[in-house]
Amino acid sequence: MRFRFPVADLPPECAALREEVRGFLAEELAAGRWRRGGDFATHYDAGFSRRLGSRGWLGMTWPRKYGGSERSMLERLVVTEEVLAASAPVAAHWIADRQSGPLLLRYGTEAQREAFLPGIAHGEIFFSIGMSEPDSGSDLASVRTRAAKADGGWRIRGQKVWTSFAHLNHYAIVLARTGEAGASRHAGLSQFIVDLKAADVKVRPILNMPGQREFNEVVFLDAFVPQDRVVGAIGDGWQQVTSELALERSGPERYLSSIRLIEAALAAAGAGASPRLREALGRAVARLAALRAMSIAVASELQRGATPQLEAALVKDLGNSFEREQIAVFRALRTELPAGGPDYASALAETTLYSPSWTLRGGTREILRGMVARGLGLR
Amino acid sequence: MAADPMVEEAAGRAFGDLAAKWHAGAMRREELVRRIEALGFGAALPSWPDAAAILRAQARSAAPVDMALLLVTRDPAAAIAYDPECYDGGGAAPRLQAPAAAALALGRLLQVTGALEAALELSLGYVQERRQFGRPLAKFQAIQHQLAVAAEEIAACTVAADLALACAASEGVGSARAARLLDCATLVANRAVDVAYDACHQVHGAMGFTREYALHRHSLDLLRWRDELLALRGGELAAAERLGGAALEAGGAWRTVTALMTPEREKGS
Repeated sequence: MRFRFPVADLPPECAALREEVRGFLAEELAAGRWRRGGDFATHYDAGFSRRLGSRGWLGMTWPRKYGGSERSMLERLVVTEEVLAASAPVAAHWIADRQSGPLLLRYGTEAQREAFLPGIAHGEIFFSIGMSEPDSGSDLASVRTRAAKADGGWRIRGQKVWTSFAHLNHYAIVLARTGEAGASRHAGLSQFIVDLKAADVKVRPILNMPGQREFNEVVFLDAFVPQDRVVGAIGDGWQQVTSELALERSGPERYLSSIRLIEAALAAAGAGASPRLREALGRAVARLAALRAMSIAVASELQRGATPQLEAALVKDLGNSFEREQIAVFRALRTELPAGGPDYASALAETTLYSPSWTLRGGTREILRGMVARGLGLR
Repeated sequence: MAADPMVEEAAGRAFGDLAAKWHAGAMRREELVRRIEALGFGAALPSWPDAAAILRAQARSAAPVDMALLLVTRDPAAAIAYDPECYDGGGAAPRLQAPAAAALALGRLLQVTGALEAALELSLGYVQERRQFGRPLAKFQAIQHQLAVAAEEIAACTVAADLALACAASEGVGSARAARLLDCATLVANRAVDVAYDACHQVHGAMGFTREYALHRHSLDLLRWRDELLALRGGELAAAERLGGAALEAGGAWRTVTALMTPEREKGS
């Protein structure tokens, strides 16, 4: 086989951690401190993120001197699995914990790490992704936002779009053109830490289809960014961005998006579940097990220091297909459920409404299949 | 699951050689039985990782020797008592006692993964060679995406089989957890066979739909083994309902997934 997914059991220390996280979530839920959401990426609650941070469950793998807990990628995986499986509100810290922090840890200066990582790990500093533009979606290398050298730093001019929670988060990592694209189109790109509250950065709302203020348009009016906010090396932006993608694509968020609907149907049916419902649950369990093993395999490779980008793309596409299919399956089972499963209806509505975004964000289905095809030697 | 590459290579060569001679009519049935016995795989059940390497290699070579049955029953005559060019939809499985039935199911699962990989490899080669509209089929995005989706399902099937294999190796093929993982893998494999059977034939055009070209051997193997795998688990619906019942009992689908993927030695700690 051309893709490697070595099956591995999680290390023993993960079992106790999983129970600890489950206990915390159950207690919080019972106390009414949060409610289950229909979409991890838009279920935003800064207070919940702070409470996770105070438990040491953000920035878990980072060095202690930056506020981390020096735990393994697999222990981090346990926490992300459990918060997602519970449909908890993780959107505030998600990007910072998953990719902005690791990016700064890898390419940032010592001063940047000290300035941002502890705040991220405490659930107090949140980041947005500044990649997409009106004319640059899947074709990310075509970005036109420019950063020009200025006294003491850079001036950014241009526009980003679909910037989730730019109106609530503190910073965005902005990909901008600083030089010529070259034949590969990947040269001349750089990344900057931009303060979203700055006066020369305009954040305008775009309502998403379900009616939530999630997206924003972010306009940079010659926004000044000091030299010490450049991430990594000027001109290395493309390589830095692509290193984020293995982190972005293989996590449990790529196959657990519809778990709330599955669990809501299960809870509504109880012991008297019909054979049809049992069958659907069983089919979901079977595929969840395979997807989870693949996701763990990628996390294990990341723990070893590898960047399995093709495998990550494969897991995301397969996981997205699974989670979208479940909505139709469990919609069809509505009449198999006794009336009075209120969470079923809201879970069905929210997963259905948000599902188009699942196969777009973090790499569209088309981009991912193209990557898998490249792995097969077809491109 | 780490398999010994030497075992895999030796098994692949041995079965490839047998297959070629059998197909060319250069070997009589008695000779084939003798040669299989001489390979030594019928004498004792090898460890599961070695068995997996042998089964995958045999499936990839499409040698007309039923290695899974041979490993479980240790009867070389039974291992060639079928027509490799036939698929009759009968869906019957040999009557075996519980641990042997589970062992044969795991064997079929591993053979299915080998045959899926062989069918995909054949398809990847064919689309590079075959040209239409002035370019190789591989350059058409519609072809690329069909094979990408097939490769994804095949990867899932391989991982699901590896989960069952690892559990069989550590806790026994007859253990309760191995039974659940066999049910999972059976359902994942069933879907992978459907997707790959569709995509591999589609990209091959009429060539794949002949008895001259090699794809048909993998396809017929897949169809036969898949039906038998399902029969050994009591059918597709029974496997799914068992897993669904377990999820209801545990009070959650996710709880069930994490529990069935946790080794027994770590439970209750």
